[in-house]
Amino acid sequence: MAEDGEEKLLATVQHIVQTLGSSDTMTEDILKVFSNYDGRFSLDKLYAARTAAAAAASGGGGGAGGIGGDHSMPVSPPLPPPPAAAAAAAAAVSGAGGRPPVTSMERTVRTLDRQISQFVAMDRLIWADSADADAFLEAIDDLIGTVQELDAAGTNRALLDRADELLSRCMARLEDEFRALIERPDDAAPVVPGGFGSDGSDDDEDFGGGDGYGDEPIPIAKPVTDYDVVIDALSPGSIANVHQIAKRMVDAGFGRECAEAYAAARRSFVDESVARLGVRPRTAEEVHASQWEELEFDIARWIPAFNMVFRILIPSERRLCDRVFDGLAPFGDLAFIAAVRTQALQLISFGDAISSSSRAPERLFRVVDMYEAVRDILPDLDPVFSDPYSAALRAEVSAMCNTLGSSIKGIFMELENLIRRDPARVAATGGAIHPITRYVMNYLRAACGSRQTLEEVMEGDVGANGGAPVAVDPDRPTSSLAVHIAWIMDVLHKNLDIKSKIYRDPSLASIFLMNNGKYIIQKVNDSELGVLLGDEWIKQMTTRVRRWSMDYQRTTWGKVTSVLQTGSPGIGGLPAKAMQQKLRMFNTYFEEIYAAQSEWVIADDQLKVDIRAAVEDSVMPVYASLINRLKSSPETGRDLYIKYTPEDVVAHIQHLFEGAAK
Amino acid sequence: MPVTDYQGSSSSPFSFGRSLLSLRRDPAAMPSGEEADLEAFQRHVAATLAELLPGGDAAGGDAAAAAAAAVGAEEFLSVAWIRRLLEAFVICQEEFRVVVAQARRRGALPAAAEKMVAEFHERAVKALDVCNAARDGVDQVRRWERLADIAASVLRAPGEIHEGQLRRARKALSDLSVLLVDDTAASGSGGVASFLSSHRNRSFGRARASPSRSAVAGAAASASSSHFRSLSWSMSRTWSAARQLQAIGAGLAAPRAHEAGLAAPVYSMGCVLHLAAWALVAAVPCPDRATALQAHHLPAAPPRAAFPWAPPLLTLQERLAEEGKRKDRRHSCGLLKEIHSLEKSTQKLAEAIDAAPIPLFGDRETDVREAAAELTAVCEAMRDGLEPLERQVREVFHRIVRSRVDGLDSSMHNAD
Repeated sequence: MAEDGEEKLLATVQHIVQTLGSSDTMTEDILKVFSNYDGRFSLDKLYAARTAAAAAASGGGGGAGGIGGDHSMPVSPPLPPPPAAAAAAAAAVSGAGGRPPVTSMERTVRTLDRQISQFVAMDRLIWADSADADAFLEAIDDLIGTVQELDAAGTNRALLDRADELLSRCMARLEDEFRALIERPDDAAPVVPGGFGSDGSDDDEDFGGGDGYGDEPIPIAKPVTDYDVVIDALSPGSIANVHQIAKRMVDAGFGRECAEAYAAARRSFVDESVARLGVRPRTAEEVHASQWEELEFDIARWIPAFNMVFRILIPSERRLCDRVFDGLAPFGDLAFIAAVRTQALQLISFGDAISSSSRAPERLFRVVDMYEAVRDILPDLDPVFSDPYSAALRAEVSAMCNTLGSSIKGIFMELENLIRRDPARVAATGGAIHPITRYVMNYLRAACGSRQTLEEVMEGDVGANGGAPVAVDPDRPTSSLAVHIAWIMDVLHKNLDIKSKIYRDPSLASIFLMNNGKYIIQKVNDSELGVLLGDEWIKQMTTRVRRWSMDYQRTTWGKVTSVLQTGSPGIGGLPAKAMQQKLRMFNTYFEEIYAAQSEWVIADDQLKVDIRAAVEDSVMPVYASLINRLKSSPETGRDLYIKYTPEDVVAHIQHLFEGAAK
Repeated sequence: MPVTDYQGSSSSPFSFGRSLLSLRRDPAAMPSGEEADLEAFQRHVAATLAELLPGGDAAGGDAAAAAAAAVGAEEFLSVAWIRRLLEAFVICQEEFRVVVAQARRRGALPAAAEKMVAEFHERAVKALDVCNAARDGVDQVRRWERLADIAASVLRAPGEIHEGQLRRARKALSDLSVLLVDDTAASGSGGVASFLSSHRNRSFGRARASPSRSAVAGAAASASSSHFRSLSWSMSRTWSAARQLQAIGAGLAAPRAHEAGLAAPVYSMGCVLHLAAWALVAAVPCPDRATALQAHHLPAAPPRAAFPWAPPLLTLQERLAEEGKRKDRRHSCGLLKEIHSLEKSTQKLAEAIDAAPIPLFGDRETDVREAAAELTAVCEAMRDGLEPLERQVREVFHRIVRSRVDGLDSSMHNAD
């Protein structure tokens, strides 16, 4: 028997080598896919790990006690004879059912014992030889049937004991084979042609998924944007074998053991696959203590890893599990969740940790990315986590989606706080655009890139009921996001208003407000902010800017023009002396204004042109008329000294708001 | 037990109680609304904790505490009790939120107060990891329960117990022992696990049906010993419950006399948080749990006289420490009453199986059946309890997260 087995093993190995050619095992191919994803994990390392594992396995293997010779039956003590009535009833049932007489059952059990003991004593995988496997399964089926019959008859306790004991030995062996086939599928022979080969699923074109895995192409690492991939960790042939075992174990009432063994066997593959994606467990505390740059890096890894795991790895595990436990429902569900739970939770924990960490506004964009990744997979999870065992995991994912959503909301609120707390100590020189205005406007503009998501989050209750996000009309200016952004603009406006007060010169305060206002309008107009804030808001803002500009005209040039007023030219008119006095005052004012305001800033060129024009419009007519009247006045003679010709004044006005640098 | 009575603090060696009282008489120092809020908060924390006291401890105390203890008559450190403890934490935290919100509504908090609130949140964040570890721990216990339940239910099948069933039960117990040994190794103790593992070597070894001679089969056999490995924690490998608890309790000191306002509530919440985290770690398997149980890791005891909640909190701490020191619990994988029962019943069943000759009859069979029935009952109770416990642990987790989301830590962003 042993020699025979060895020959078969050799033949099998040769067959495997032939069919596989130079390619590695399926599992390795898949790990390669994951490794390729993250370049830090080289195949060399993988091989080193596997070699080490194999060495450890063969080193530790010799110690396990062989059970082969331990199947001698215990000596049965005489059982008390069953009560006559019960025996009669049992006999009647047995007779009615047409069951074979007990003596033939005894013969059956004895034969099965002989057969099965050989298999159980086998010191290599039974599934290394498909003929052995088939024979073993057949014997087990007979045994299960026999046990059921004996149990139903209830007349031969001793024989039932013996059959039952035999069954438990079969199951222990089956469990070992089961685990070995899952963990090292390539140790077993490919399924014989015509066997339980086709797996009934034809949609896995990605891997050319026919039956018989020998000539199957190696799975290729697809671009990570395409998650429409299924991993076939086991060949259809292996799955068929494993399914056959699972079926027997469940039939014999060992379903729970089978589920535990399955989960334990798959878990290491799942663990390794996730590790290969380059994400490592991070505690909430670590996340809190980390620099944002570091976390950004982690998030950049986390998002594709999360997609890989929840879009490919876990659905693939689900499919494998469904096939192995096809028709054995609750055990498959139990096995599946036990296999993937830890790794899924580890990824979720990172999301939770990010949600609960700092709300610094610059975090918005990465957190939005995370949120979107999670939100987008939610609907796809339903078929994967449909059973009651995985409901809790499904709930964890949508809870994470929720917390990320609230976190985004919180970060947005934080922007408000940031503006509110921005101190008014330092004024922008020359009334220029304040850094806070630039920051907030550019921030909001960038945030509009994620407008849909922000709308969703602001509407609240995202994923709260585990459902799809609430549909919102993106162009509704009354949406929560629009309202919130309008509110932020309000807060910004108030903050700028406070900042404007630190300029001693009210004219400069007006210039400052005007500059910032104009900048805000520009940023709003050339982005989606315009849609969100609405035309009415823009109109109001434009009005404000115009009012500030008028304030400026009034505060700076009001007294200048009033000095130049000479009354209506026709009636009387001022004496030349008074007019000369006015001119001197004008010169003083004008020089003061020019000295200060040529260093002021108007950032927007058009606005600068407009403001200068407005100044000209208000000053030049009165100034020119004063000069004309002085010139034409008989009282002033040749000694009339005009420091600034109207052309000079215009030229000076054109040099206002050039900024300190110029 | 002076749960709510700290009027007698004039005779106490702690000056804080006195100064609190004197502050109270000085309306200028603290507006009456705020004072009332803060005092009510302290009293609520005290009452909430007093409700958790085991029956015996509350008996000598005031009537309210005794009555409360009688209402929740479940056993100390049972799943139900742990759930009530977590609930108590949640209640306290909610009240704390209200206290802070009200203080803010009265006007911007002084920077020092904001800093204190932020510090509490830093502490609470550390408890998030404890929640995650406890969730893994609960899942681990669930695995134990599944294996124990296989063993128990096999032996409870109608009809006589025969070799096949015993073999199956032994195998389940053997797998369970591997898990327990792993977890005790992780948490650094011996106890039932080491009993079971030696038991396994004696009697389960031969029960294994694995072939062993050739390399192929050898690999299968060695895989089988490692395959029932403990679950990989979703925490990083180096995470330690003991270190985490120390971090939660670090710098937790009673406010000095001149620190009025939010100092006392913040301190109270820190203490309640530490207690809840400590009890959770004590109750369920966690990495490096054994060290965490040692009482010398506790933060400085709150002055009894100054805080009405200090006496019940200290009593609870003492009880937890005592429980951890008990001979039969010292090497346990978790102080949770249900885990203890599982360990005891599993051991009893293993012994009954061990002593049982085949075929079983008479007293021996009765012993095995009784042990199996007991273990089945324990498993049932555990199944019923673990689900809600896990949910509650998640609830605490999300509450802590939410309290940050809601802007309680609005001054936080300056921290980084």
